[in-house]
Amino acid sequence: MSTVQPVPWETPGPLTGPIGVPLVDLLDRVLATGVVISGDLVIAIADVPLVRLSLHALLSSVSERVPAPWSDSGPL
Amino acid sequence: MTEQPGAPEGATSTYVFAVCRRLDPAVLTGLAGLAEGCPVRGLRCGPLTAVVQHVPAAEFTEDAWQRRLSDRAALEHCARAHHEVVTAAAACGPTVPLALATLYRGDERAREALGADADRFTVVLDRLENHAEWGVKVYVPATARPPSAPASAAPHPGGGSAGGGAGRAYLERKRGLHRAREQHHDRALRTAEDVDAALTRLATATRRLRPHSPEMTGETHRLQILNATYLMRTERVQGLLDAVEGLRQRTGAEVEVSGPWVPYSFAGEV
Repeated sequence: MSTVQPVPWETPGPLTGPIGVPLVDLLDRVLATGVVISGDLVIAIADVPLVRLSLHALLSSVSERVPAPWSDSGPL
Repeated sequence: MTEQPGAPEGATSTYVFAVCRRLDPAVLTGLAGLAEGCPVRGLRCGPLTAVVQHVPAAEFTEDAWQRRLSDRAALEHCARAHHEVVTAAAACGPTVPLALATLYRGDERAREALGADADRFTVVLDRLENHAEWGVKVYVPATARPPSAPASAAPHPGGGSAGGGAGRAYLERKRGLHRAREQHHDRALRTAEDVDAALTRLATATRRLRPHSPEMTGETHRLQILNATYLMRTERVQGLLDAVEGLRQRTGAEVEVSGPWVPYSFAGEV
């Protein structure tokens, strides 16, 4: 159990965009974060609710229950 | 500014990826960004430089974004393109990523809006100097192992233990499994808190992200119990990696580290 498994980016490297950053980790950051400034005009698309909405559409099975990922892990 | 309702074609909007202090244009060379054929470039905004790109306005309307963000392939393309530009810019120094889909009618409007927020950007840039974001995810096996040696010396299934009977043995077994599961969950929670507490001590700032469900990861053999991210001073990164290795050995949990990330998770906090 405690054997070493492959770990992404274990070695500190340059900030060059690593190919193959897991999408789910990327979305954690790119979708939900970053500075939101008074979007001009075109759209207030950076609105978090919209982005969350889309993320839900994308990962339709995303659970709303934040703290308990195991709660429905089924019978042993 | 004159309206040009009759000529939507050719109209461009200015997409802003990030804001930084200094930018070597060479790092942007060859980046596709979000619109093929339009260069990703720097746009001076007073003391700051925005990383921008012209995009065809007609393809970046609200409706278009709705469609794009609802389509897995398109969303992935956008997110990766945005990330690629942000990451490239960050090679030149502290960089504040803007939220995905930050658009202006043109360079002038972008310059005005960013200039109006210059103080805020300056504060964030100061805070991010010499820092990067590191993600840490912790996993435990998905299910508790059946108790191999129950504390109460439970009767062996099928064994002829006196006073038992099949029904009672069954209940005992169920209780044992239930107990094991609860203990497994308690231990997992404690492990998550231990890891987070240990790493928080090394970090400038920390955030807990929502753990990824098995549906999101596609993994059924393990459960993610912590999805956290830490703003680390450069010189403390090795300390973080060492601490993670120690935690792996002490807790037996799988601990995954990712980084360095441009500090997306810590850019919007000012």
